[in-house]
Amino acid sequence: MENRFIPALERSPEVDFRYGENHLALRGEAYPEDAAAFFGPLLKDLTTYCQSIQGQDLLVEFQLEYFNTSSAKALMNMIQVLEGAARSGTRVALRWTFQKDDDVMREFGEDFSTELEHVHFQLVQI
Amino acid sequence: MLASDHYRMTMENKQRGIIFSFNGFISEGILFALGKALKKKMAADEINAGTMKRVFSVFVEQAQNIIRYSADTLAREDQEDCRLSSGLITVGTEAGRFFVACGNVMLRSQAQPLQARLEKIRGLDSAGIKAYYLERIKETVESDSLGASLGLIEIARRASEPIRYDFLDIDGLTTFYCMKVFI
Repeated sequence: MENRFIPALERSPEVDFRYGENHLALRGEAYPEDAAAFFGPLLKDLTTYCQSIQGQDLLVEFQLEYFNTSSAKALMNMIQVLEGAARSGTRVALRWTFQKDDDVMREFGEDFSTELEHVHFQLVQI
Repeated sequence: MLASDHYRMTMENKQRGIIFSFNGFISEGILFALGKALKKKMAADEINAGTMKRVFSVFVEQAQNIIRYSADTLAREDQEDCRLSSGLITVGTEAGRFFVACGNVMLRSQAQPLQARLEKIRGLDSAGIKAYYLERIKETVESDSLGASLGLIEIARRASEPIRYDFLDIDGLTTFYCMKVFI
């Protein structure tokens, strides 16, 4: 699957999905005008990709500073896809990073991790 | 007269701790520009990152609620992108706390379900609000009311006390809805 890079814009995060290296990263802020239009294609590709790498290692990094509720919903959908992949044998690691004094993003990391049973989840303070 | 009227208005807002108050047609572009100004102002005042994030989040969710749910709109049916919704949004400080308040006209028929959602959220403590947020975000079904609920729950999570709200009926069809949230 072809790598996908989308530079960060004022309201949308950097997307650095290196499918070839099994390394996917989202960085920055997410409150796009239309969250479904932004995240929909990423979620679709992620689903297809996860089916193609069964049994392999996958590292996903979320380095987010802010996201609105529509984006939170999309992130939860991605996390559910990752959990599904991990359940069927892919070794998925999800690294959730937050700034030292950012208790809101730390708590979101904890929230999202409650959905994870098979994914190896790391909460990392930077 | 012109200057004195406007100066009085400016000073009144200042005395009430208002950082900005926007009244009129609000678009996603205006939301973005106001949000950027708000962040700059809070950064200049050296507000801590957690508070900044909470104020900003409540501001974004309230502004998007106006954009999506205000009944006072200018729209052409063939141009959904040009839809402009009207409302009021105010950010300020009162007794050392930030507040974000908003108001817009809505249909009276939609007020009752909204009030039920607000009351449900107001009845929860912070652990209950967090659990309710997680319950709603994990649901796979997408619907209008779900989007609205999640926004309200997010606002309640960032608030330091229960959401205050009020309705004022305008006529048989519409009501003016407002909400004030202290961070």
